Amino acid sequence: MKDLKRRLFSPIGSEAIEREVKEELQFHLDLLTEQHLQHADTLEEARASALSRFGDVEQVKDECVEISKRSRAFMRALKSFFILLFLAGILVRIFSDELHVDRVGQMLIAIGVMGRLFLYVRGLKPAVFRQKSDTSSPLMLNSTYKAPTSLFDADNL
Amino acid sequence: MAKDRTDLMQGTLELLILKTLSHDTMHGYGIAQRIHQSVDDLLKIEDGSLYPALYRMEERGWIASEWGVSENNRRAKFYKLTRAGRKHLDAERANWDRISRAVTKVLQTA
Repeated sequence: MKDLKRRLFSPIGSEAIEREVKEELQFHLDLLTEQHLQHADTLEEARASALSRFGDVEQVKDECVEISKRSRAFMRALKSFFILLFLAGILVRIFSDELHVDRVGQMLIAIGVMGRLFLYVRGLKPAVFRQKSDTSSPLMLNSTYKAPTSLFDADNL
Repeated sequence: MAKDRTDLMQGTLELLILKTLSHDTMHGYGIAQRIHQSVDDLLKIEDGSLYPALYRMEERGWIASEWGVSENNRRAKFYKLTRAGRKHLDAERANWDRISRAVTKVLQTA
């Protein structure tokens, strides 16, 4: 029930999206700062270390907001489409006198309801219909890493 | 100018995230900590890079998120693996094994 409420009434505006992303990133940065505070002399030093490990906060925020907006806009359009089908079906049924037109109305209602239910139940995401993005991986091999030599030492074999 | 970063295959970070979430529901910081512990300094990962990946993965339906309360009593966004994500993890894992075996084979024969 809680989840249903959240889905129906969750904020969809740009400001709300940005606020959520900021809150999420701030939570991470605060915990990172706390973690670095154990080895730093001052809070500023800890904050700087946290930022250095996190990367470009603004860039990350912008990217997340963009993905979130794109995703929600697509879902809104899809949901609206099914609702429109449902309403069109009702109108057709109200104003049609002929049986075969009435059947079309029934079909529109059924497609609208089933589509909307399908989106809700499966939590269908827009990327299902899109190609994967071709951004390169943000992972890097650590060039400063040295394997523990003792493991490969001939004496140990 | 020498290139000072070596990009790994696309999808590697997603694979690490999926594996990390395969046992537990976690917030972004928790995921980052777990990955740092697992890769043991072999890979450099900026924590921030996890978030666009997480958002993209949620968009694709591999993970789902929900706001909750963290261990330090703060509001935090928690991520969990979906059924589609688990399927994707299995497929990517098999794929990774195949590629890794193939490359190792070539390197050994060269």
